[in-house]
Amino acid sequence: MSASHIHVSGQTLRAAGQRLATVLATLFGLLVLTFFIGRVMPLDPVLAIVGPDADHSTYQQVFIRLGLDRPLYVQFAYYVRDLLHGDLGNALLTGHAVVDDIRRVMPATIELATIAIIVGTGVGVPLGVYAATRHGRMADQVVRLISLFGYSVPVFWFGMMGLLVFYSWLGWAGGSGRIDLAYDGLIDSRTGFLVLDALLAGDWEVLASALSHIWLPACILGLHSMAYISRMTRSFMLGQLKQEYIITARVKGLPERTIIWRHAFRNILVQLLTIVALAYGSLLEGAVLIETVYSWPGFGSYLTSSLLLGDMNAVMGCVLLIGIIFVTLNLVADALYRVFDPRTR
Amino acid sequence: MRFAKLLSACAVAAALAAVPLAPAQAATPADQLIIGMSMNNLLSLDPAAATGNDVVEIDANLYDALVELDPKNPSKVLPALAESWAVSDDNKTLTFKVRKGVKFQSGNPLTADDAAWSLQRVLKLNMALASAWKSYGFTAQNVDKLIRATDPTTLVIEFPQPTDPKMVVYSLATSVSANVLDRKKVMENEKNGDLGNAWLTTHAAGSGPFVLNDWRAKDALIATRFDGYWRGAPKLRRVIWRHMTESQALRLMIGRGDIDIAAGMSVPDVEAMKRDANVKIESVQRGTLYYVAVSMKDPRFANKSVRLALRNLIDYKGINDTVMPNYGVLHQRPISLGLPATLPEPGYKLDVDAAKKLLAAAGYPNGFKTTIRVLSDPPFINIATSLQATLAKAGIEASVISGTGNQIYGAMRDRSFEIVVGRGGGGAEPHPHSSLRALIYNPDNSDAAKLTNFQGWRTSFYSPKLNELIDGALIEKNEVKQKEMYQEIQRVYDSEVGAIQPVSQMVDTVVIRKDIRNYAGHPSATTHLRDVFKQR
Repeated sequence: MSASHIHVSGQTLRAAGQRLATVLATLFGLLVLTFFIGRVMPLDPVLAIVGPDADHSTYQQVFIRLGLDRPLYVQFAYYVRDLLHGDLGNALLTGHAVVDDIRRVMPATIELATIAIIVGTGVGVPLGVYAATRHGRMADQVVRLISLFGYSVPVFWFGMMGLLVFYSWLGWAGGSGRIDLAYDGLIDSRTGFLVLDALLAGDWEVLASALSHIWLPACILGLHSMAYISRMTRSFMLGQLKQEYIITARVKGLPERTIIWRHAFRNILVQLLTIVALAYGSLLEGAVLIETVYSWPGFGSYLTSSLLLGDMNAVMGCVLLIGIIFVTLNLVADALYRVFDPRTR
Repeated sequence: MRFAKLLSACAVAAALAAVPLAPAQAATPADQLIIGMSMNNLLSLDPAAATGNDVVEIDANLYDALVELDPKNPSKVLPALAESWAVSDDNKTLTFKVRKGVKFQSGNPLTADDAAWSLQRVLKLNMALASAWKSYGFTAQNVDKLIRATDPTTLVIEFPQPTDPKMVVYSLATSVSANVLDRKKVMENEKNGDLGNAWLTTHAAGSGPFVLNDWRAKDALIATRFDGYWRGAPKLRRVIWRHMTESQALRLMIGRGDIDIAAGMSVPDVEAMKRDANVKIESVQRGTLYYVAVSMKDPRFANKSVRLALRNLIDYKGINDTVMPNYGVLHQRPISLGLPATLPEPGYKLDVDAAKKLLAAAGYPNGFKTTIRVLSDPPFINIATSLQATLAKAGIEASVISGTGNQIYGAMRDRSFEIVVGRGGGGAEPHPHSSLRALIYNPDNSDAAKLTNFQGWRTSFYSPKLNELIDGALIEKNEVKQKEMYQEIQRVYDSEVGAIQPVSQMVDTVVIRKDIRNYAGHPSATTHLRDVFKQR
């Protein structure tokens, strides 16, 4: 028993070590690619700092200060050295450390993405299941049409239409930004999640303002995710409903609800988890267009601006974080596979 | 069944999220001003390192300058921190009497020494805005000697080379770099000899009417009233600049009254707002010019006939009538509109037949292929599209390369372009030299000179005659004669067919809620908000 336990632990450790090595290699590869692609892009961070009318001596001074006069591999070596000390450098865009910037913008995106994925999953999964059980009928066609619409219409257009209808005409939404500016700065930022901070502070006016601002962009993003999730759910369910065990269950006279939810749906959960995890990852990576339309100071907007400035410290930091998010979500999805599918244990 | 319950819970959560939980705010608070605008170019608040117009307006309200220009009559210089000033008889020295009793926001007293140190710092840091001061001959080495405080209320500026003192006074009034900094406060935050540059990137140390409260890049900048302001506390309690890039979102928000001022809206949105009774549209003419520039390093454009042909292939009227409303007004001279020396418009117009003849005479009867580099934003891209079409009429096949300002002006600074549709040319100071220095002046045309701040050098346009005239006009003491010289420069530029052809002079249009009072957009972008209030 003891020897076997040690043997299993050894195997587990080896597997964990291999997994860790793969993750680190992936992240390093990502850094190398981003660094060198970033350096060949026709964007000049020096010009962003000094402006188009600066003279040559000013340009050269900043060029040297940024270390751009060194060979690329030396610049990369310095970057990796600093990274290993937890220093991602300073961002040109803000003058702050990239780590601090990411810490500031990320909660805004996580808050938005989390509500969006709840909306997307909460609506998309039941719709997909419903469409699969009504395969070929009118309800199925309607769900397919809705998901096609949600998936193919640009999220930017939805964003503008949402603002026009729910903010401008009906006055139900709070418009651009995370909060009405009159409430800005009224509560301490303890977590960076405005809704949570307002709850913790017990300030209901700030909470109401924050919710009035977040629900619309979150629902629009959620609609986009919903379209994808419902299509995939429908497809997975159709696959399961054709299986012999479902026919057997029906022959045995089990209630339809039990057949769908306890048997068929349980078997698609593993695939569904991967889909939802990846959709959530994409939302965290940054919903640039929605963040632009709603002036949402989030991660996507930060990454895009940094990229356009050629601010490679910020871009590298963001890319690294995206890599970590996707690696983590994959690991979580793998772990959940083990929970929901005994065959993988 | 557990899953069904879980899903039901998710669906309920989703439905709840979709329910509007609070009505949107109907109007901004009466004592706060909210300005929606793009802050994409706002990278540093340090007056010595500021680039772009966004920061000019913000710093103008966090800091004070020695002198200001009247927004209604920009050539009129008004006292600010300096009560008075005098020019020596030989035009070599400016002496300012600095106001007594002024305090910085920190509580430190403001003296002439702070003013001198602020200007010295610009040269020593050698950041974005140093080039204007370097063009007057100041250097990091001579500035301590030439710009100095002789006592707590006297600032002396000696010119290292002959110049027009008016031009220097205008620079002091319009350049953010001339704002007076709280030396003590800044030096408390100095790191590694940076004269406080890193700290001032995100902080402020001025005596202006508003105190920087919070700046979250690409989100919002919040400033609160400085109660101890020497002119008296401003009427507004807070000013908030909110980063908004989407024109239609700006339109919806100002339409509903959730912002008070919207800047940088697209022309169709501005036009649509003209029908809204709750807002007014205000346009301010700036000195900056929209232009078509060619590189004379390219042998085709070094040929005067080809440049003349190009001048005939711009649809000035079409561009200004259809593309430029709210962006600019027709102007074809290298000196800004509205200055006494500016000659009447030369009347250039689209003349394809004349252009074809000129091209044939230059050896290009069938035209040629070229590229137009242009910013991907309106109105630049629209001007380039118009130019592409009119060039095609004379057989010139131009492909458009669009990009960011960084990419387009970067190529121009590297002298690696053929045609650029751009905007520039100084013009902040209401003096002909401001535009001429930026657009035409080029004292050394060699690549090695790397005079990247002169657009004359970037386009490889080199005219010793014009250089001499520009130098001479600047130091001419007789105003009548000086005006004649500037008019002569325009005529010579016309006959030499310069590499930069102005098309339109910039107009900045903002949409303002009707209840805003005393807002006066400034031609130099130094719009002061200290007297602004809301009447409801």
